[in-house]
Amino acid sequence: MSGKQTTGKKKKERHNFDYVLLTVVLFLVGFGLLMIYSTSSYEAGIDYGDSAYFLKKQAGSTLLGFFAMFFVSRIPYQFWKKWDAVAIIGSALLILLVLTPLGIKRNGALRWINLGFITMQPAEVAKIGVIIYEASIITKLGKSLRTPKGLAVVLVPPTALALMLWQITNNMSSAIIVLGIAVAMLFVAVPDYKQFVALGCAGIAGVVAIVYYAVASEANGEFRMQRIRAWLNPEAHSTDKAFQTLQALYAIGSGGIWGKGLGQSMQKRGFLPESQNDMIFSIICEELGLFGAIAVIFLFIVLIWCCMVIANNTVDLFGALLVVGIMAHYAIQVILNIAVVTNTIPNTGISLPFISYGGTSVLFLLAEIGIVLNVSKNVNVA
Amino acid sequence: MARNKTTQKKKTFVMCMLCIMVLIGLLGRVSYLMLFCSEHYTELADELHERERDIKAARGRIIDSTGTVLADNRTVCTISVIHSQIENPEEVIEVLSSELGLSEEYVRKRVEKYSARERIKSNVDKETGDVIRNLDLAGVKVDEDYKRYYPYGDLASKVLGFTGGDNQGIIGLEVKYEEYLTGEKGQILTLTDAKGIEQEGMGEKRQEPIAGNDLYVSIDVNIQKYATQLARQAYETKQAAGVSIIVMNVKNGEILAMADVPEFNLNEPFTLIPELEEAKASCTTQEDEQNLLNQMWRNGCINDTYEPGSIFKIITAAASLEAGTVTLEDGFSCPGYTIVDDRRIRCHKAGGHGQQTFVEATMNSCNPAFVSLGLRLGAERYYSYFEQFGMKKKTGIDLPGEAATIMHKLDNIGEVELATISFGQSFQITPVRLMATVAGIINGGNVITPHFGVKVMNEEQNIIQEFEYPVMEGIVSEDTSEKMRYILEQVVENGGGKNGYVEGFRVGGKTATSQTLPRGTGRYISSFLGFAPANDPQVMAIAIIDTPQGQYYGGQIAAPIVRQLFENILPYLNEIGYNVTVSQQK
Repeated sequence: MSGKQTTGKKKKERHNFDYVLLTVVLFLVGFGLLMIYSTSSYEAGIDYGDSAYFLKKQAGSTLLGFFAMFFVSRIPYQFWKKWDAVAIIGSALLILLVLTPLGIKRNGALRWINLGFITMQPAEVAKIGVIIYEASIITKLGKSLRTPKGLAVVLVPPTALALMLWQITNNMSSAIIVLGIAVAMLFVAVPDYKQFVALGCAGIAGVVAIVYYAVASEANGEFRMQRIRAWLNPEAHSTDKAFQTLQALYAIGSGGIWGKGLGQSMQKRGFLPESQNDMIFSIICEELGLFGAIAVIFLFIVLIWCCMVIANNTVDLFGALLVVGIMAHYAIQVILNIAVVTNTIPNTGISLPFISYGGTSVLFLLAEIGIVLNVSKNVNVA
Repeated sequence: MARNKTTQKKKTFVMCMLCIMVLIGLLGRVSYLMLFCSEHYTELADELHERERDIKAARGRIIDSTGTVLADNRTVCTISVIHSQIENPEEVIEVLSSELGLSEEYVRKRVEKYSARERIKSNVDKETGDVIRNLDLAGVKVDEDYKRYYPYGDLASKVLGFTGGDNQGIIGLEVKYEEYLTGEKGQILTLTDAKGIEQEGMGEKRQEPIAGNDLYVSIDVNIQKYATQLARQAYETKQAAGVSIIVMNVKNGEILAMADVPEFNLNEPFTLIPELEEAKASCTTQEDEQNLLNQMWRNGCINDTYEPGSIFKIITAAASLEAGTVTLEDGFSCPGYTIVDDRRIRCHKAGGHGQQTFVEATMNSCNPAFVSLGLRLGAERYYSYFEQFGMKKKTGIDLPGEAATIMHKLDNIGEVELATISFGQSFQITPVRLMATVAGIINGGNVITPHFGVKVMNEEQNIIQEFEYPVMEGIVSEDTSEKMRYILEQVVENGGGKNGYVEGFRVGGKTATSQTLPRGTGRYISSFLGFAPANDPQVMAIAIIDTPQGQYYGGQIAAPIVRQLFENILPYLNEIGYNVTVSQQK
């Protein structure tokens, strides 16, 4: 098969469909639904009288997601190239919509909008928006990317979007993901290393400074840094800031090597609130043990690897960058989620892709897979 | 079309590998948590999830020498409700209030209270509990539990004792043998969710309780019943303040019966007996009422001391024989009184007993004769015999609260004191103390320890412990012992104790009539101590009547009680292996 012929016959294109990636995604989504049922059924039975309450809602979103994936995978990816301005401005507008009466406040955070037929999180749109914008703008800039003007065009809009997410929707984790995707795509696009190493060092120094400040300010009773102090010593903050983290650690620790068995988690019985959401990985550890945890992480590694292979077999830079952005999105989110659940970094709300409960999230994640599949049709992976 | 350059592919690969390395690092972190912190977090998590519930252990039974159970356990139920599981609160309230005889208001308050588990009533009859369980009401829990049960009600109440709310012994053998009778509590560890709802089928851990061991006692339920019946009869006909009867094995100190009327109902130990109901009305404080209960539970045979009176002449006689200050043929003359230190001490026979031998003086229970015996010994010698016979020590009986002897200090014993001690006045001992020493004098010189506990056996009928009790040996010579048996048989055959004579058996004994303190109130304690057979004593009984109305001489009212007792129990004792009919012919 000739991967260079992007305008080849459809019959041939189908042949190049990346089935490994699709299998991994199907497996992750199926496993996700199983674990959503396992984690939510007890509490759902009590609160809603229907133990499959969350499962049904998520299954609906997943079905919609598969339609989206299938639909998007049929759209030649070059189509998205024209959408750079729409992607970034549209994302910004959606974020601003939460300030209108369409915004919905849940658990004290203004993160959802009601579009009449569906409620959704603009943050999820912003992630895909940034991926399309960056891929398109980097490709268009070409050699002028490394000029100050070029860098500004590449970095300012995502930074602005990230600031909006952080300040308007109080969603720091999504802001970090949006910024992280942009930086990752820029990293791939330019041949430089030093700048990124320097940026990394600066980031580490900043983190150390903040942690140092948090510890030093403990004596003054400084409240803002509570979250960081809770991270350093969760058992001393077990009743407030570190409650969720500590409950997750209990779940992970009590799983042991073999786990308690599917459905046997105790922590999901009201101890770890909304365990089907961000902390679902800890219940996977409790029920399926270390081997379950290894299997889940392994699946994500395969997913990322598949993305890398597809990206590197794509001759077209735009297609490659789209896949790189999506890979960065998955990777950052998985890494941050597992790091939070294991108390490796301070607690911030990030869901585990394909597995955590969340309709908008699974819809857009599957749509992104659709893009990757479409790119993969035009390469020769085998 | 911009091409995907090699440098860009390389960087994509670098980025991918970076992500994979971070993920592998996180996998290391997860492994560390799940392998090395597992124990720590599992412990903390279990603490969070587990609820402990105690399972009561069945308390060991108390079983008499015939194998009859005197203290048993009965299954009772505790009814409780679990708020979150109740489906029909109105029905639950209605059923529970009517079945348990509780006010609707009381039950409603508990049913509607938001708590994990609320107790409605404990100690409910098993039948009632079964009725409620069979209704199968959602949210209503019926737990079975043990409660102490005494099949004979008030029989040997002050000896057996009873248990409190936690099944712990409060008085009597129940408290003395607590360590054997009480079992080990079991535990149910259940898992609950965050709201405290038990998770069924989620690995319930159960630690079975270990039942307590059975205590086998020397009491014979037949003798105990008969002794109690006789005591109650005397208590009623004599309108006495109290009547005590003790039956003891002379050889080894095993107590076959100990009755102290009025007894109380062991199944209702906090309900006052009718005699004390009246006094309750005048109680103003909780403490007063508690004092009444303590009074009701008091065992006069061991908790209280009294002046033994003439029965104590056995001790004076034995000491004199042992010291050689008297022979059986020594003559005494009684003019009806004796003068000691210009104090005139009267004999109970106003006209005097005239000329008599030592044996006759004992038969007559002549005070002047015994005063002169005491004086012959002298205070110091008398005191050393008093101690030698163990009279100053507690007997060590296996019941709590044994009272100590109240005796003069040797320095304070003048002639008058010595004279009164000689015939059993001016000091106080418990009835069991008196019995133990007299047993030692007539059984060849071995003061045994009166006791109930024989052995402890577990559920599988294996002996856990057999009890042994100390014996003070050689308090008198065999010769003295034999002489005392002869004298005391004469007392019953021909002397003041002839009402204690039992046709067909050889019985020895001594009567006593002691004035209570303060003197001059006309209140007496009448008693008789008898044993059989006189030549080789096996069994001994004492009957003590506190403050009888009308006749009050021990020989007239206490001796017949022991006679009736012996008439019934001696043939029975023969049947169960006591050899009480040896050589009927003298």
